[in-house]
Amino acid sequence: MKVLRPLILVAFILAAWQITAKSGLWSPILFPPLERIGRELFIFATSWDGAVQTWVSLYRAFAGFGAAALVGGLLGLVMGRSPVVAGMLDPLFSGTYAVPKLALFPIFIFIFGLGSLSKVALVFLECLYPMVIITSQGARNVPKALLWSAENMGASRWTTLRRVVLPATMPYVFAALRVALPVALIVVVITEMISSVDGLGYLISYSLASLKTDRILAIVVVISALGLALDRGLVMLRDRLVYWEKLDTYYA
Amino acid sequence: MIRTILFILGTSLASLALAQEPTLIRFGRGFAAEEQVWLMSVRPDLTPNQGKKYTLKQILFQANPERFQAFLAGELDAGTAPGLSVIFVRAQGVDLKVVASVCQEAAGKQWFSTTYMVKADGPIKSVKDLKGGTVGVVGYKTATDLWARAALLKAGLVPDRDTKVFSLGFPAMGEAVRTDKVQAGTFVEPFYSAEMAKGGLRKLFTAREAVGYDHELLDVWFGEKFLKAHPDVVRAFLSDYVAVTRYYLAHTEQAKRDLHKAGFVRTPVEIYVKNADWKRDPNDRVNVESLRKLSTFMKDQLGWLDKPVNADDMVDQSYLPR
Repeated sequence: MKVLRPLILVAFILAAWQITAKSGLWSPILFPPLERIGRELFIFATSWDGAVQTWVSLYRAFAGFGAAALVGGLLGLVMGRSPVVAGMLDPLFSGTYAVPKLALFPIFIFIFGLGSLSKVALVFLECLYPMVIITSQGARNVPKALLWSAENMGASRWTTLRRVVLPATMPYVFAALRVALPVALIVVVITEMISSVDGLGYLISYSLASLKTDRILAIVVVISALGLALDRGLVMLRDRLVYWEKLDTYYA
Repeated sequence: MIRTILFILGTSLASLALAQEPTLIRFGRGFAAEEQVWLMSVRPDLTPNQGKKYTLKQILFQANPERFQAFLAGELDAGTAPGLSVIFVRAQGVDLKVVASVCQEAAGKQWFSTTYMVKADGPIKSVKDLKGGTVGVVGYKTATDLWARAALLKAGLVPDRDTKVFSLGFPAMGEAVRTDKVQAGTFVEPFYSAEMAKGGLRKLFTAREAVGYDHELLDVWFGEKFLKAHPDVVRAFLSDYVAVTRYYLAHTEQAKRDLHKAGFVRTPVEIYVKNADWKRDPNDRVNVESLRKLSTFMKDQLGWLDKPVNADDMVDQSYLPR
């Protein structure tokens, strides 16, 4: 029953959608019924092209996200433990966090080209911020008692970092990853919608040109499913690695 | 008794006033090549029926799909759109009809036709040389996409396989060609004139040359429900529209200056007034044959349509002045 609970709201939304679509209040082109979306979803899911386009988007998202996780994680860790580095970088990150990086995309295109690199670079930049800010917060909040205990036991700085700071920061790192992963998907789809010849975002803008709303919504369902699956995978990974502090989720 | 008479009198007067109230036309416009449409709002003195039989509310849209979505949501009664976009939405069963032409891609030195340019000192001398390269267009399944694909097919190249077709904004096109991000780019006025003034680019082909015949670029459409409910209003609107088109053709420079002054055009006025213009029919008649050919091309050559679209059924010119 616990597993089914989240589906109640989904079922309610789907029912409301279907009732609205069938009401005749709006054009079915704008508000397609579920069977039309389902048909497009089936075509997408059973076609080789659907798999290729999904892979293209995922590969771009993972490339940018992976790089941001690595760089942002390390940078956040250093910022959290070094007041000097934090003093240098924190104003930069805090001051530019709210800037919509998407506005830089045309510049990225001219620097990195029309292909995947410009999209990966933007995903990297967008994901870097939550990674750095949340990880640095975690590294800064390592309980003093743990650090003092390690010192008293004669642990070196490296051992303290490896055995105390890193494990204590890991829940924050995973929190940052959970924030950054959907951002990666969103940015990839948007950049592909703006300028691409492949990927899920491209399929959306391609379908939009001929008002294929049912196809667009089918792709939206695919993106939602990907987002859910990736988040769930990340939570599972977290629970394996950060076994001492299980995350309380509805599907845990 | 007196109260009843007064009530009937009041109701009758109110009904009369309502009956004489001009009908509002919510009109979705674009941002290029629609001069005579814009002029209807800038120079209402040229439109005797405006304010009497109809009032015009022009709403700017950046792209065509959004314009049609607004129509489907009941927020628009009419608008402008490329003939190709109307073919797409008719294929989806959207109930609208093309009632007049705005402008065409036509042969002739006196007309402007959307131009695809390459680097002047680059290796691309003909469309065939685009093999392995990329052509910049302004959006997928747009007219610019169709022309690029038509030119590639004509040159024996397979779009997407031999040559990529990439979506870019008009403002970025010049720099994209110069920096080799794309090997050919699409240029319309005023970007064409601005890039020509900068130098370093040359023409490879035009939209007219790509498809091989004069064809509709932009048209005026109305929702079928509106056409049925207000035929006289549409006739009055189109009567004014034709009058404005004729004024525009006869006094192009003055009309352009007025449009610039009203903020419809951002290009420096001296460049704008000198730009070559697309062909505009003085009677705003639609080249139906070209829509027929485009529709067939979109289905048979490009695979953009699942089923053919009846161009004759899509156009209704009976509302235009005879």
